[in-house]
Amino acid sequence: MNNLSASRVWTMRLMYVGLALVILFFHLLPLDTLPSRWAPPDLLIAFTFAWSLRRTDFVPILLIAGVMLLADFMLQRPPGLLSALIVAGSAYLRNWSAGLSDASFLGEWASVGLVLVSIMVLNRVILGLTVVEQAPLWLVLIQLVLTIMVYPLVVFISQSVLGVRKLTPADVDILGGRS
Amino acid sequence: MAKDRSQREDYTAPLRRLLLGALLLCLLGIFLVWRIDSPRVERFRAQVTDKVVPSMEWAMVPVTATINLFRDFQSYQRLSEQNRELRSELRQMRAWKEAALQLEQENARLLDLNNVRLDPQLTYVTGVVMADSGSPFRQSVLLNVGLRDGIVDGWAAMDGIGLVGRISGVGQNTARVILLTDAASSIPATIQPSGQTALIAGDNSAAPVLDFLENRELVRPGDRVITSGDGGVFPAGLLIGQVAQDPSGRLRVRLSADYERLEFLRVIRHLGHEAIETPGDIVTTTPVDDGNAQVVEGEEAVDE
Repeated sequence: MNNLSASRVWTMRLMYVGLALVILFFHLLPLDTLPSRWAPPDLLIAFTFAWSLRRTDFVPILLIAGVMLLADFMLQRPPGLLSALIVAGSAYLRNWSAGLSDASFLGEWASVGLVLVSIMVLNRVILGLTVVEQAPLWLVLIQLVLTIMVYPLVVFISQSVLGVRKLTPADVDILGGRS
Repeated sequence: MAKDRSQREDYTAPLRRLLLGALLLCLLGIFLVWRIDSPRVERFRAQVTDKVVPSMEWAMVPVTATINLFRDFQSYQRLSEQNRELRSELRQMRAWKEAALQLEQENARLLDLNNVRLDPQLTYVTGVVMADSGSPFRQSVLLNVGLRDGIVDGWAAMDGIGLVGRISGVGQNTARVILLTDAASSIPATIQPSGQTALIAGDNSAAPVLDFLENRELVRPGDRVITSGDGGVFPAGLLIGQVAQDPSGRLRVRLSADYERLEFLRVIRHLGHEAIETPGDIVTTTPVDDGNAQVVEGEEAVDE
């Protein structure tokens, strides 16, 4: 019951924003000003997808869009494009998880990987079409692979530390009865 | 249960889809606006950064300091090894110091002889590095000086030794420096002693590429690279680095500035070159008045 109360939902929304700010904060620390040979995984996307597959009500679309737009502005990316792709990807994942109520984790991982790959490809294609300067391909690939690899860990942290779990049928009943 | 849920979704689903569509259009619209009118959106980005980053600074400074402390601690473990290296370096440096002192005296004498006046307009503002670009794909740092301090887009930023980058994006209290290593950076430069001009183009590696060289044979690894001042963006003569050759034979620049630890940067005030607009009084390009020209020539002859 506690899992569904409005205050809990709002706390978790705030938690999502806080998490995003912490991730951005660590991105922005001026620790390494030399160009690096590898790229760290994009934790923000991984958390967004993990949360939107578990509890859609914790990460409403508008919130994702706002956070991603802020990240676009802060991290010197072309503003709007990547956030649009991530919002679309997260909406797709929501639909996908609504279709089958209890998919195995492997299935989830595969579909998240697929969405990440298509986001990367679409991003590069659109940037190419609009003749915007692009990041080196191998850096992007490293980041993509690391993000996919780090996804189970992100899910584990979300579930065990932050308590973002899928709703059980009983919870859904309560929610259905209340609304 | 399933029926209940689908019923609820029946009236919310189209609404949700509408919202999603509108949101996606908005975001893509922002991207298109950025693509069409980049300077305006970049100014907005500078303002956003100007609001967000200084509010994080209270936490950023201690966290950065702590992490650097741990890194320093690791380097203490190699202390004795470093000590030995430093000692041998010091011995070499003594020889260089001697040479430098002699050269300095000679230089001062020559400057004195030639009555050279160094450019008094080259003053600078020093800023502290607050944040980096935050993305492995872009190379830039954020300084804590901005419009408030009179910083202008395009000015050069140096550390104590060499050029670091160019100001691009100024907020009220912050300014972004695009580093020479960023893929979007290219700076006109002169290579000494041959005097060849080239472009220093960053490519996300530690050593930018030397591009558009006229004659490669005249350039050797070890030559000094300085800004040429072409295009009127930068003052001429700022040290960039030395020419080096990478294994594939491309000429690159080993930067003089210490990119590993950028902490304080000097932003060089540059008020533009004085343009020479009139052709001068003595040499006229168009023969306006023959008599006048003769008089001028006559005067010159008298002077000689």
